[in-house]
Parts: sequence; C-alpha cells; structure tokens
Amino acid sequence: MPDTEVRTAIDALRADFRARLAAATTDRDLDALDAAFLSRKNGSVTALLKQVGTVPPDERREFGRLVNAFKTEIESAIEEKRGAVAATRRPAGAIDPTLGSRPIPIGRIHPLMRVRQEVEDIFARMGYEILEGPEVEDDYHNFEALNMPPDHPARDMQDTLYLGVPIAGGTWGAHRGRVPEAQVRAATLLRTHTSAMQIRYMKTFPPPIRLIVPGRVYRRDQLDLSHTPMFQQFEGLVVGRGITLADLKGTFEAMLRDLFGDVRVRLRPSFFPYTEPSAEVDISCQSCGGSGCGTCKHTGWLEILGSGMVHPAVFEAVGYDPDEVTGFAFGMGMERVAMLKYGVDDIRLFYENDLRFLEQFPL
Amino acid sequence: MRILLSWLRELVDIPDSAEDVARTMSTRGFAVEGIETVGTGDAVIDFEVTANRPDCLSVGGMAREVATAYGVKLRTRGPGASPSGSRGGPKGPAPRSSALQITIENPDLCPRYVGAVADVELRPSPTWMQTRLEAAGIRPISNIVDVTNYVLLELGQPMHAFDHARLAGPEIRVRTARPGETLRTLDGQLRTLSPEMLVIADAERATAVAGVMGGGNSEVSAATKTIVLESAYFNPLSVRRTSKKLGLKTEASVRFERGADPATAVNAMRRALALIEMIGAGRARGGVIDRYPARIKPGVLRLRREKIAGLLGTAIPDRDVRRMLERLGFTLAPAPGGWRVAVPTRRVDVRREVDVIEEVARHYGFDRLPTTFPALTTAPPPVDPRIQRARDLRSALTAAGFFEAVTFGFIAERAAAPFAGEGDLVPIANPLSELFAVLRPSLLPGLMDAVAHNRRREQRDVRLFELGARFMRSTGERQAVGCVWTGAGAPEHWSGSGRPVDFFDIQAVAERVCQALGVEVHTTPADERWLMPGRAAAVFANGTRVGVVGQLAESIADDHGLPGNDPVYAAEIDLDALPPAAARRAVRVEPLPRFPSVVRDISILVDEALPATDVRATIRDAAPPTLVRVSEFDRYQGKGIPPDKVSLSLRLTFRSSDRTLTDAEVQDAMTRVIAALKEKNGAVQR
Ligand SMILES: [Zn+2]
Repeated sequence: MPDTEVRTAIDALRADFRARLAAATTDRDLDALDAAFLSRKNGSVTALLKQVGTVPPDERREFGRLVNAFKTEIESAIEEKRGAVAATRRPAGAIDPTLGSRPIPIGRIHPLMRVRQEVEDIFARMGYEILEGPEVEDDYHNFEALNMPPDHPARDMQDTLYLGVPIAGGTWGAHRGRVPEAQVRAATLLRTHTSAMQIRYMKTFPPPIRLIVPGRVYRRDQLDLSHTPMFQQFEGLVVGRGITLADLKGTFEAMLRDLFGDVRVRLRPSFFPYTEPSAEVDISCQSCGGSGCGTCKHTGWLEILGSGMVHPAVFEAVGYDPDEVTGFAFGMGMERVAMLKYGVDDIRLFYENDLRFLEQFPL
Repeated sequence: MRILLSWLRELVDIPDSAEDVARTMSTRGFAVEGIETVGTGDAVIDFEVTANRPDCLSVGGMAREVATAYGVKLRTRGPGASPSGSRGGPKGPAPRSSALQITIENPDLCPRYVGAVADVELRPSPTWMQTRLEAAGIRPISNIVDVTNYVLLELGQPMHAFDHARLAGPEIRVRTARPGETLRTLDGQLRTLSPEMLVIADAERATAVAGVMGGGNSEVSAATKTIVLESAYFNPLSVRRTSKKLGLKTEASVRFERGADPATAVNAMRRALALIEMIGAGRARGGVIDRYPARIKPGVLRLRREKIAGLLGTAIPDRDVRRMLERLGFTLAPAPGGWRVAVPTRRVDVRREVDVIEEVARHYGFDRLPTTFPALTTAPPPVDPRIQRARDLRSALTAAGFFEAVTFGFIAERAAAPFAGEGDLVPIANPLSELFAVLRPSLLPGLMDAVAHNRRREQRDVRLFELGARFMRSTGERQAVGCVWTGAGAPEHWSGSGRPVDFFDIQAVAERVCQALGVEVHTTPADERWLMPGRAAAVFANGTRVGVVGQLAESIADDHGLPGNDPVYAAEIDLDALPPAAARRAVRVEPLPRFPSVVRDISILVDEALPATDVRATIRDAAPPTLVRVSEFDRYQGKGIPPDKVSLSLRLTFRSSDRTLTDAEVQDAMTRVIAALKEKNGAVQR
C-alpha cells in the first residue's frame, strides 16, 4: 500500500468517525464508537495497522506515524465528547418536567353573566347607575304604570306568570339612604320585563336619570331553540331636560359597537305601550357582513333590542311633567347578545349548565 | 297581514319589487315576516302589523302607508270598483224597501250599527275573488261569505251575513245577553253567554256574539234567499272581554278589540252591496240603514314645532310635516307654534301630541335623524353594593374551582318541598308545567339538576354555584348563593395527591363566600331534612344563622337522579341576612409584630362527642391575652385510644406586641390551659 493510498484510507475513516461522533449523545454511543474504530479484535483502525505488511519497507515508518496519529486523534475526540455528554446528564433527584402539572381547579363565570358584566361596564363608563330590582312584582309596576291598564291589548304581548299567593318582593337600592318607593303592594306576578324598575326608580328619585337594571324576567313561553320561560334582560332609562331620539341613537351606536365591534346600527319604528316613538334597534349581521344569510333571515340585519322615548303617560304615572322632561328607555336580552357574540344557536344551552359548554369561555 | 302585491298596486302606483317594498316598509314600522311569490310576477308580502295599528289590517290601510312612504297618491275608488278598475253598480228598477228594524239597546257597547237586506243566490264566488282570499289565507266558502271577507281584507271592516228567513222577523236588536242565554256559534260550540256580553239578536233570541262570531241559528246556507248584512262598530274593550271570556279569537274580534273605524262602517256596507251585484250574487233590497247613536268624533291634537325638534333632536321642515301627515289622512290647520291636527277615527293609536310626532319621525325616516349623546349633568351615581357583591362572589368562587350556573326561578313542587316549611312554598297560579310549578325556595334543587345533567355526560367532578333570588311565603324574595360539589376534593394527579370531596371542603367554601364579603362566620351542628344526619351544619355570622352546609341526603340525591355512592356536598348562604359589606372597604392596617412568637403543642384525650369549638373556647378562656392563635393539627382515633375517646393535638401560638415572652410565662400559661381542659372538658394529657 503506497503512501497516498494510506492517506486516502485514513481520510475515509475520519469522515465516517466524525459523522458518527456527531450523532453520539450517550456514553453507550461513545463506547460503541470506540469499539468500532479501536477494538483490538475488529476496530477499523486496528485493521488498518495490521496491513503494515503490504507497505513497502521504506514507507513503514511513515505509515506507522500516520496511523498512530489518527488513533490518538480518535481517542482524544471520544474523550472530549465524553466530557460533553457528562455535562448534559441530569443530576440525581432531577424531576421530569414533561409530566403533567398538579391542577389548580378554576371555574368560569356563566356566559350570560360575562355579557352582563360587560354591558354593565360599558354603561358604568357612560355614567349610568346600575341597580337590581325585585323579580316578583305587582300589576301596578309591571303593567299599569307603564301605560298598560287592565284590559290593554298589549298585555297579550307578554304572557304573564302569576303567583298563587301574594308575597313580599325583594328590596332594592337600600344603599341610597332613603326608603325607595315602598313595597306597599304585595307581589302577585313574576315580572315580565325589567321595565317595572323604571317606575320604582322614578317614583323615588327626581330627574336627571341614567339607569341600567339587569335581571331575570319571566314569561309563559315553552322551552325551544329560541325561547325559555325565564331570561335575562337589561333595562335602560335616561331622563332629563332635552333628551332626544337622536341621543338614543348615539347611545346605542356607542354601546353596540363597544359590545360587538365594528357593526352598523339602525333603528326601525315599532310599538311598545310605554314608549312613543318606539324603535327596534338592529345591528348589521356579522356572519354575512350585511349582504344577507341564514342567520339574519336574508335581511342583513339582526334585531338586538327594543327602545323608545318614554311615553308621557309613564311620566304622568310617576309624577314627572312630560312638558319639562323627556327620556328614552330600552330593554335588551342578554341571551340574544350572548348568542350573537359567542355563536350559540340554542338558547337552552345557557340553562343546562353543561361543564363542556361553560369551560369554553375564557377565565 | 298577508298583502297581495297586485292588489296593493291597484291602490298605489309603486314601481318597486316585492323585496324593495318589504325593505321600505320595514323601515316605516312594518317588519316583514316573509315574501311568497304567487302566479307570475305577483307576490304576497307578510307584514307584521303591531297591536296599535288595527287600521293597517287591510289592503287599503297598508296602501295608505305605502303611499306615504313612497310619496305617491292613494287612488280613491268608488264602492262599485272592480279589480280591473271598471265600474259596476246597481242597475235596473229601484229595489223594494227592506223594512229592516234596527234597535241598539247599548249604544256604549255598539256606537254604530249599519244594516242592509239583499236578495241573493248562493254560489261560489268568481275566481279572481277566491284567488285574493286564498292569497290572504282565507278559505273561499260562498259568494256571500266571500264578499264579507273580501271587504274585511280590503277595508278592514268585519262584516256578517244573517239568513233573513231564519230570523224571527225583519228585526235586529243589539243588546246584552240575558242571564243563562246560550248560542251555538258557527264553530259548532254551544256557548253560555254572560249578561255583560253584547249579542246581535232578532226579536226572540241571540243570533251572534257581537264582533266575535255569528250563530248557527242564522247561518247562511245554500238555501238562503235573503240576507241581512251587518257592518258595525263595537266597543273594543267589550269585544276583548267577551273574546277572552269565551276563549274565542276571530279575524273580526282581533280588529274590533284593537279598534275598528266607525267611519268605515257605511262605506264597507256600500262596497259589499256593490260587490254582491257586481259578481251577480244578488241585489240590495232597500237602502242602507245607519244607526249611529253614540257619535265618535275625530280627535284634535295640537302639534308644536318645538316639541317635534325637542323629541327627535332635529327640526323637520314644516312642509315635510304637513305632507307626511296629510298623506296619512290627518288634517292640519295652522296654530300658534305649529298646527292643530284632526285625527282620522281609524287611527286609534294617535291620542297625544307624541303620537303625531311619531308619525312624522316614522315617515321622515329614523335613519335621517342625527346621532348625539345625552349631556352628563350630574355627579357619578353610587355603586349598588349588590352588583359589587355579585362580582366579588364570582371572583372568589371561580378561584375556588366553581363554575357559575344559571337555573330557572321555578321548579317542581316535589323538588322544592324539602327546602321549605309546611305551606311556605309559593305556587305559580298558571304554571307552564309540573316542572315549573313553584318558585324555588332554595337555589340547590336547580343546582342538583345541573350536577345530574353533568354526571350523565361523563363529568364526575362537578363544582357549581349560582347567585339569585329564592322565594318563600314567610320571607318573600331574598338573595342567596348556592354551591354544590361532587367528585374530587383535590383533583386526580399522578403524584397521588387527589382525594374525594368531603365535608370540610364545602365548609371552607361557605366560609370563603362569607370571607369574600368581609363577614366572619362559624359553623355548628344542625339538622336539615335535605341533609344527611350528622353531616349537616348551620353557618352563623354575629349570632345570626345565615346558611347551611352539609352532605346531601341520599333520598334527595336519588330524587335528582344522582348516583348514591358519590356524595354531593352543598352550601347555601342567605346574602340578605349577611351584615352589609361596607366595613370591608374601611381597611385599617395593624402594625406588624416586632417580637418573636412562641409555639407550644399539646395532645389530649377527650370524649369523641365533645365539639372542637368547646376545647378551643376552654383554651382561650384560660390563656392570657398573649395567646394569638389556637388550631387543631391532628385528630386520631384507633389503636391505643379508648373507644368513645379521641386524641386531639393542638398548636398554641403566643406573642406579645411589647416584649419577648419568657419560657416561664409561656409555661405558666400552658399549665393553666391544661388544668382548665382537665377541669372543664375532662381532658387527659397524653
Ligand atoms: Zn347575515
């Protein structure tokens, strides 16, 4: 074997060695590598040395120097790698951080209450007072004072659940330091809307008013995809000198954009006995961007709340002078908002309290 | 109200498609429930007419709105107009006199009654008439019945035809029902009438319930040769009460109870007679008899410019106001600051100035109104502590692993009964079903159902809470928070740290609820029908009972479909019974301790039945004020402990705020504590 051939053979072995060294990550890999090249029996460097007989005598000395230098190179490279492998070895008592952590249980706020808190916050920023009222009411506050005297056809619009026995309704506004419009009348029905609080509030406090009343309301509706016999509403009431329908428009645009993002808002004339003029408020459909789809019944708009200018008869019932003050009122269903905001198509999901549903909402 | 587009087009000249008309009218207050194409190039638009607009329950009424919306003229048509526009009308010799007598005994309930007699021959009505009725959803019956329905659709005036031969003479009496009087109505039902109900009678008996439904005894049939036609105006409230009481709602009753137009009654009669002649169904005999004893005058309202702008937030030009209102049929006369507006009698919804302003706003277009913001003129309002309380509880309980639930305010009586005393439940008078029969006396039954729902869906570990009202006769409506917990107390983990929930977990939840509201509470053993005996406790704050915690009784769990082998723990706190949270906001910081504390442990044997709270009380009473804390750290029963006894280990911490305590004084305190435990609680030191 001439000198040039020896160098070629060593270069080939070196390339192989370097590749295998780079791939080695454990002591066992390195032991195997050591054996493959340096073992007395079948190491490839040992095998090369054994070929000394084929080398011309005057080149044998040089041959020995080259092969031995290569052998030393391998030994020190393996040694160096052993140090590197040792440095990465886990210390005694090391934990396995890839195991599962110990859970810290955490619950969620109900989606309807998320919506409620969000809406409360929007109106609180606009300077509204937020109050809760009784859920059981009397006919006067729920209907009569809201321009729905007995036998008024509009009472049919809200199928009422009546109590078998009259009871005392819940208290409200105790923190306001005066006796709020007293619970003189026993409650005889489940309130069909939070509007009853309009009357209680106006009878207790003078204008100006900015008020939000969130709470549960009840109607005699069968359970289906879009109805539940109990649901959650926000009542809003703004009263003062010079409050206009344009103010109502501006307020809803601000509130609905805060709640739904970049939507268009429109008002449509409608009818409620306690407001005049009355308006349904729609937002542009976010599913189709207003071009029409199944969600919006191909109109491009989604009804979101009912509203209007407070009817003078309501002002008269609470002792306000309709020539002095005007105002607007509205009612918005929390379920409706939550369904649109979160893409829920069955209202019953809000009342089943299925953890697989509830845990989809963020902390 | 289903409106046929081609019929509408006869009355108003509109170029738009059904879709465009629907869109335009929905911005004028008539939401559209659907559009159906019929035949070629025709459509039925289903308008939602709000309860205040009975005048729009007809093609003519809607046409007036459409004409105003589009700014076009409403075509006026004579009584004899045919659908194609050609004029029919009475021909031939003058008819015989009808000799019909009309007597109104109750003008307050029937201010106007228009009657006429016609000789007829019953046959099917012509196809064009049938097509129009069917488009509106009305089944054609015979030429005479169809004519009354056609007029109803066209003008909104309900009409009725009696068989003249079946009446006791040519006489109509409008009177209230006699006591016990009965009538078989056209739907075949025998109705017992009450004396406040208005009826149409002949000389002897009732033949129709006024404004609601006719009677079988005077029904027109194939044999009918002469009819008496009725076109009346009945008192809305009277019709509404009668309809409600009889449980009978008809096309006629709906219109009368919302308010028909007394002015239309005669026109409708003329139109009906003309149609009868035009389609060859017969001829009027004699003229139209109009009895109008209680004349209804059009209302006159003032309309002030300043009020229009004040309510809408923008001034609307005078000529726009005038144009829109006049198109709708209002008559305007100038008056100081605005106008005097005469309201047509059909507009029962317009009773005040604001109602007129609404008409202006509606047709001016809500979309053209500016958007402004109400001026803020008062200081920020106070925060309702209830709102804040709900938020504090949500934070505390979700942090404790609880999911918020919302359940219904009414539940089944069986589920409610264990939670209220005898007769304390509040029943619902007209419940939807047995499942919603009573107001909930507790939030827990609803929460248990929610737990059961989750258990049936492979959720073993369930923690739920709800905030809301509960109701009892004795206490009325009160706010509460309820919590239920089943499955793991500590969640399963590979380290083995998981364990099932137990009493002390739910007790901690009750305490956390009160702590979140700044209230210190303690628990004592209690009995509750719905909790397992020996696993129930009452929660007290300042000596007042504010709630209950414990393990659900098996029978209750069973009733809610919960598996008996996994205990369910529950807690309920009466939020209205807790002291106001105001104190929680007034925080005063104590200086930090400057001297070290000394800790001493003791182990004692006491009776198993002795409450731990007694042991702690003995220690507190016996120890000097330097005892700052005492807590149990071990409790043991079993090997080496006599039966009925328990080994209790307690840790006592002493500290003074002004010096380092000496061993001697702590030892002295411990000696006194041990002596007291021996004396008062029969404790033996181990
Ligand atoms: Zn859409």
